Amino acid sequence: MTLAKRMKSLAPRLIGANNEGVLAVIIVVLVIVMSVLSPSFFTVHTLFSIVRSALVPSILAIAVLLVIISGGIDVSFAAIAIFAAYTTVHLAYTGQFDPGIIGILLFACAIGAVLGLVNGAVIARFRLPTLIVTLATQGIFRGILLVYIGSRYIAQLPDSMAGLSTANLIAIESSRSYLPLLVVPVAVIVLIVAWMLRRTMFGRGIYAIGGDTEAARRAGFPVMRFQIILYMMVGAIAAIGGLIHVILNRNANPQDIVGTELDVIAAVVLGGASIFGGRGSVLGTVLGVVLVQLINNSLLLMGVPTAWQRAAVGILLVVGVGIQALSARRASRRTFVLDTVEA
Amino acid sequence: MPTRTHQSAAGRVNTRIDNTVRTWMSHIHVDRGIGRMLVLLVIAFALFAVLNPRVFMNPLNLQNIMVSAPEVGILAIAMTLAMLTGGIDLSLVSIANLTAITISTMYTGLVASDPALAESLGGVIVLVGVAVGVLAGLINAFLISTVGITPILATLATMQIFNGIAIVWTGGKTLYGAPQALSAVGKSTVAGVPVLFLLFLVVAIMIGLLVNRTPFGRKTQLQGANPTAARFSGIQSASVLYGTYLTTGLLGGLAGVLFITRNPTASADYGTSYVLLVIVIAVLGGTNPMGGFATVTGVVLATLVLQVVQSGFNAIRLSSYEYSIAQGVILIGVMVFDQLRFRRRSRYVASTQTRNIASMSNVGEDAEEAPDTAGADAVETK
Repeated sequence: MTLAKRMKSLAPRLIGANNEGVLAVIIVVLVIVMSVLSPSFFTVHTLFSIVRSALVPSILAIAVLLVIISGGIDVSFAAIAIFAAYTTVHLAYTGQFDPGIIGILLFACAIGAVLGLVNGAVIARFRLPTLIVTLATQGIFRGILLVYIGSRYIAQLPDSMAGLSTANLIAIESSRSYLPLLVVPVAVIVLIVAWMLRRTMFGRGIYAIGGDTEAARRAGFPVMRFQIILYMMVGAIAAIGGLIHVILNRNANPQDIVGTELDVIAAVVLGGASIFGGRGSVLGTVLGVVLVQLINNSLLLMGVPTAWQRAAVGILLVVGVGIQALSARRASRRTFVLDTVEA
Repeated sequence: MPTRTHQSAAGRVNTRIDNTVRTWMSHIHVDRGIGRMLVLLVIAFALFAVLNPRVFMNPLNLQNIMVSAPEVGILAIAMTLAMLTGGIDLSLVSIANLTAITISTMYTGLVASDPALAESLGGVIVLVGVAVGVLAGLINAFLISTVGITPILATLATMQIFNGIAIVWTGGKTLYGAPQALSAVGKSTVAGVPVLFLLFLVVAIMIGLLVNRTPFGRKTQLQGANPTAARFSGIQSASVLYGTYLTTGLLGGLAGVLFITRNPTASADYGTSYVLLVIVIAVLGGTNPMGGFATVTGVVLATLVLQVVQSGFNAIRLSSYEYSIAQGVILIGVMVFDQLRFRRRSRYVASTQTRNIASMSNVGEDAEEAPDTAGADAVETK
């Protein structure tokens, strides 16, 4: 095999099924450009702060990725995340007891799963458009949280959570750079979901449902049951994201997280997941989150006002999805031409 | 259909009755969508009138409902148009805010130099504001039709971009100031009915005519009902989508004018809760979120129902969060209800189709009247 041929066969593998390679190259180029522009950028401190800011969006993005692969779109995950986390903290605070971090985690996940079940049951049972259902449940969950559970900011977390908020995996005192311990659970969840999507029948089923629901049904996948389990899982993962957000911020604010949905969805779509379902990868999603956080961070460093961040994420989304749409259109045109030639 | 000419008299009568009944059924379906909203309107009105008559039945409150309904209603009609083609427009509220901000900025800028000129140019300023809305619609249309991005994502992104521009423009602050003529229109009434409400009815009638009485409206319905079939019947989906999203941009701009007419201020985050509300109204009014079906009358009635519910919630002292719970519950309830009814109906249609095929191939009818045996054979072998 000549070198040229080997390069040719290597290229698609490097680019990846969902353009992960392209994303990685963009990230590397951005890091190089930023390091040249601003010497203070290329430091461990910046690295750790980007990782820290990417923790919660990564978890939420993994949850959204699952929904998008299955062919839906979810805007209620942020409401579920803060609902589960705030309710847990609120109960521990008003009851003056601390069930330990495992107890808190299980309780929050249970709440998240129940809220996810509501989404899943309505979407799967009645086959309604997911965007509109989750828009409705977003309003319902947020309303229930603020009316019946609490609308007050809680500054005092249970001790087990407060302890975690200051725990660091790596601490470099000289440059005041800290890598929080919470990186570990985030990494574990990311790896578990990646394994589930690639190696289990449930994972294949999600891709199958997203590719073509009717085909998945005829291939023998229990579509309704898978969808309900999927939305429960998404609710539980979102709840973990909410808990991590609360721990990192060292307070529980029921108004938080809601409003960041678009950044998360943008990251997932940038990471190569197809909005029509059936395509997407965990690696791409994580790279997408990193890219969004990197750009937010760079804008800040370059002195661009934070007001522009909103517009910047929107433009990023248009460019990312636009390229996807144009290439899909070109691909479909190519098949069309081939068909006529063969006929 | 060559076999139809050879049908027996009984078969012909059968087909004709079948067609007539199905036409009736489709009319009843539409009427029920509108009738359902009328019933809901009466129930909601009566409920709150009984619960707190002193506050709710106050003429001021009733006028308030009629003044606040138009801005939401026009956005809902725009959303209905987007849904008719099977899309959605999440950027409407951002477009409206951008229009309001444009008007306010231009007016305050002109007032600083020449107040009299600013007043006389009021109409021009409003037109420029609406033009900004149309331009925003053009951007949506370009992304959706030319680039080929799904409407959800395209408008999610433009919502963010327009909103971002508005935040940068205003610095996150609320702008004050609008042409006096606008405020005067906002306050005036004709026989107790606010002018704004009459404007809303005019817009609704025009869009209703556009959807039901023009070739463009017919094309949008076909495009939404079945894009592939629309393409094969020669409908230029690009021009339909451009027309649709330009119109939604125009309506978004009009809503922005109403924002500033009702209250001479403009800000980037005004009316953020309208995004969900407007979708609720569109679906409640009988719009099929999958596309292809909508009635403007239903949407107007749904707007009134939700405004009555909102003002009623205020009258019995429930919070805006409780109202958002109610919105979500109503939205899911109506969609589930529609879905169940739609399933029943699709089963009905399937059975009439089999009957039609049966009557066309003369199955169960006098076989001697069917010389076209080749056709009958083809059906039998299937």
